Amino acid sequence: MLLDIVQNTLDGLAIGSAYGLLAIGFTLIFGVMRRLNIAFGPSIMVGIFAGAWLHSQWSAGMIPVFLATLAGAVLASAYVERISFAAIRGDAALASMASSFAIWMQLEEAVVHVFPGRTYAFPTLQTIPMLEIGPVFLRPEYLAMFLTAAALILLLQWILTRTRFGLEVRTLADNPEAARVSGVNVAQVAFLTFLLAAVIGGVAGFLIAATDGQITPKIGLWATMKGLIAMVIGGLGSLRGALIGGLVLGVVEAQAQWFLGAAGREIVTYTLLFLALVMLPSGLAGRADAGARTEALRRL
Amino acid sequence: MDFYFGLLQIFGVHTLLGLSAYVVLLTGQVSMAQAGFYAIGAYAAGACTAMFGMHILPAVLIAGLLTAVVACVVGFPALRVKGLMLVVATLAFGEMVRLFFFNLTWQVERGGEMVGPNGAEGFRSIRYFPENGWEIWQVTGFIWIIVAVIMVALWWVDRTRAGAVLRAVGHDETAAQSIGLNLTAVKVGAMTAGGFIAGIGGGIYAHTVTHIEHGVFGVLLATFAIAYPILGGLGSIFGTLIAVLFIQGFLIEGLRFMGDWRSLLFGALIVLAMNLRPTGLLGEHAPRLSQLFGRKTNDHDKSLELKEAE
Repeated sequence: MLLDIVQNTLDGLAIGSAYGLLAIGFTLIFGVMRRLNIAFGPSIMVGIFAGAWLHSQWSAGMIPVFLATLAGAVLASAYVERISFAAIRGDAALASMASSFAIWMQLEEAVVHVFPGRTYAFPTLQTIPMLEIGPVFLRPEYLAMFLTAAALILLLQWILTRTRFGLEVRTLADNPEAARVSGVNVAQVAFLTFLLAAVIGGVAGFLIAATDGQITPKIGLWATMKGLIAMVIGGLGSLRGALIGGLVLGVVEAQAQWFLGAAGREIVTYTLLFLALVMLPSGLAGRADAGARTEALRRL
Repeated sequence: MDFYFGLLQIFGVHTLLGLSAYVVLLTGQVSMAQAGFYAIGAYAAGACTAMFGMHILPAVLIAGLLTAVVACVVGFPALRVKGLMLVVATLAFGEMVRLFFFNLTWQVERGGEMVGPNGAEGFRSIRYFPENGWEIWQVTGFIWIIVAVIMVALWWVDRTRAGAVLRAVGHDETAAQSIGLNLTAVKVGAMTAGGFIAGIGGGIYAHTVTHIEHGVFGVLLATFAIAYPILGGLGSIFGTLIAVLFIQGFLIEGLRFMGDWRSLLFGALIVLAMNLRPTGLLGEHAPRLSQLFGRKTNDHDKSLELKEAE
């Protein structure tokens, strides 16, 4: 019993780190755009299918597949940004949301059209043997997932706090008007942030696909939902919150899956999410006062 | 000819779905729970006629009222959160409803066979219309009479003080509160009205397709529901109607000849429409909802946003 809980927590933390990456991608986009991008998951899906295509055509190894996944996700995201965000003026948040919904339909249809089958194989890391630490098992894919996510988050932290681009992103997230006045090229920084988010989402998508070993076009909607949920659990506008939200979501799902089965897992997840939102409207990393969001944005 | 009647029926139920989201959106709330409400209405009305042998009219009315009660109960906690948090909270609620029906098995014996919701199988044989000998044009007429009644009611409400109150809350919550409006009452009221309309729409939908299952009421339907009023604009209820005709009629049916590539053009046209009319097709006097996804408006931000918009 106790051992099960420990085991589930470990598995949950691994998958949760991928959720955390998705949530961080969402947070970056939301931070600079203040608009919801429903097509974030579907653009990651395009990347994953690009990787799977490379794998099935030339049985490419892990690294080319990884690069193809990132490239696909970045290209699809650039398309989304140009069409649904750059082209629509900043205060029409709902128009961008409806527009990114339409792009989601487009991307999904395009992928289904090019890949008519139901599921496709994705290369996995299963050649590495299972690790045993005492009575607890650690799947190598999970370990790789966790370490990659951690490395990427450290890199992102470095970019945001140590580079000029990072400073511009933070300025833009803090106050768009002040950023513009102080000479930040707002449109360009927003575009690059969008692409950065796509890279992070692409890595998360690659890790998840490489763990499961098979993919369907449904993964687009799935990734949007998980990222959105993790971001909101953690509290809007905070990268640390997004990561924590992802880890919490992963652990809760793993426990519920073990004790209640697949259907129970979904119900428990959504019920907890609803309760968490209603009881802690500013998320795990936020504070209840009105200044919390500004504060959170400053920390970004 | 039956095909066109079938199409009209789809327009009818989707108009109800869109209007239910429209009412909630008027107060500035983006609700993704409408598909969940629609599901509750569908199962409730199906149960009334197929399991208990009721007439269609009270069945649809019961479905609407039941859904309104659920929407009211959900509205109180859900509307404590705003903007994106509300989107996700209502999304979670919608999925909870869908999963509830996924797991619900409740059958009674009627006329020698078991009828009722049967988990993942769905709820089969809601055959009120064929059993009672309704012609397809009668069914279509019935649906559009209900749609017309609801549209006239909404149009009338929009011209009274209640409509102004809803719009005031949608424009600027702080200002609305400062002139003494009770925000909670207005928002929960709009949610309840939205739930009532969605419940009726769902109830009718269940009877036109005769077989409902949980998968229909997912995130996709919820997104369609909110896309109608966004695309149509909040200027008038006819915006939603036009958006339904545009999406369901032109984009989904009209482009069918394009086969597999339909969705690509579908997406492109919606994007084009949103680019040309960011506040919707009929949105000239629509409230600006920039504050929805932005920061909580304080004076400083507000002035900036207004400047940007000019």
